[in-house]
Amino acid sequence: MSRTVDLEADVQDVLVSEDQIQAKVADLGRRISEDYAGRQLTLVSVLKGSLPFMADLMRSITIPVRIDLMEVSSYGGASTESSGLVRILKDLSASIEGDDVLIVEDIIDTGLTLNYLLRYLRGKNPASLRICTLLDKPARRLVEIPVDYIGFTIPDQFVVGYGLDYGEIYRNLRFVGVLRPEVYTAGE
Amino acid sequence: MTDRDGALDTPGAREEDRPDSPALSAPPAFAHASEAEMSRILDFYGVRWEYEPHTFPILWNLEGTVVESFTPDFYLPDLDLYLEMTTLRQKLVRKKNRKLRRLRALYPDIRIKLFYARDFRALMLKYGKLALADALSGTSGQVVPTHGSDDPSTPTEPASSPLAPAPGGSTLARRRTHRRRRSSAPAAATAQAAAQ
Repeated sequence: MSRTVDLEADVQDVLVSEDQIQAKVADLGRRISEDYAGRQLTLVSVLKGSLPFMADLMRSITIPVRIDLMEVSSYGGASTESSGLVRILKDLSASIEGDDVLIVEDIIDTGLTLNYLLRYLRGKNPASLRICTLLDKPARRLVEIPVDYIGFTIPDQFVVGYGLDYGEIYRNLRFVGVLRPEVYTAGE
Repeated sequence: MTDRDGALDTPGAREEDRPDSPALSAPPAFAHASEAEMSRILDFYGVRWEYEPHTFPILWNLEGTVVESFTPDFYLPDLDLYLEMTTLRQKLVRKKNRKLRRLRALYPDIRIKLFYARDFRALMLKYGKLALADALSGTSGQVVPTHGSDDPSTPTEPASSPLAPAPGGSTLARRRTHRRRRSSAPAAATAQAAAQ
């Protein structure tokens, strides 16, 4: 990397502040705890972007909950050229058959990855399969997917922070912000 | 595509577990490189697609002959969704927007999404391929025309009737034509509405 990265300076606007995130996560945790009371809930987090959201959300849920992690390759990633098909880089570590499963996502835009995951996880025969996302960017939607829990609906801007990256950085920002366009156009 | 079996060698990704993958066949002759890129993205995520499978008449002359039609770039059968890529100049985008409005008015049950240049750019940014976006946008992304025109900026619509097969067996000849659900509205009224 040729330039020095100043994480916060590269952010044009703070779209969702740390306080807003924490308040929303607490609210989502309360709702999920109520909705799944008495059921066997498994949270499935989709790495890497949803990691901070998962960590905060699971601690705001007050009922017994199991967690599991998945990671799938993204188009344009290192594995794209070799196969041309999405790869499951990290699969579930335990069966979810008969469980109530809640997929925890950082952001839903095109819906392509989630559409793939839904089809994959349905094949594991969970009792139910629902979706919780911190951010929803409906303007980018290609595959319409019903989302059960949405933190924030955001405009059509490229965002980083709170798990979301550009070039694998900015994930550790404590808020969600709009990345300055010059950051990603600098190399063009 | 030849590495499909290799893609299954990931932990837990047994063949019976994988969502259905698109049928493996030779890719069609895309009119624009951005369309080819989109087909690769859809393939990657296991979304089945057909390239320009349907042509919708959208304008008739007084004799009832089709004088204008619209052929969306992709049809995604599992989603029942048409996808139209519009990465060309603004003048052509306006023309395509007009045709799209007309299509929606005549075929209200059809679900179609228009993918503008900015949408394609955002997609490429998301996938870390922004440099590719500029290369594949506008006329620079145009590949060998397959619609009977040497001018890449020429709208890809038939010169006469969309029902007529194109010479040389182009993609146009393979299209099926959907019939409009309207049956008896006067052709003159249709033509007038389209002219507005």
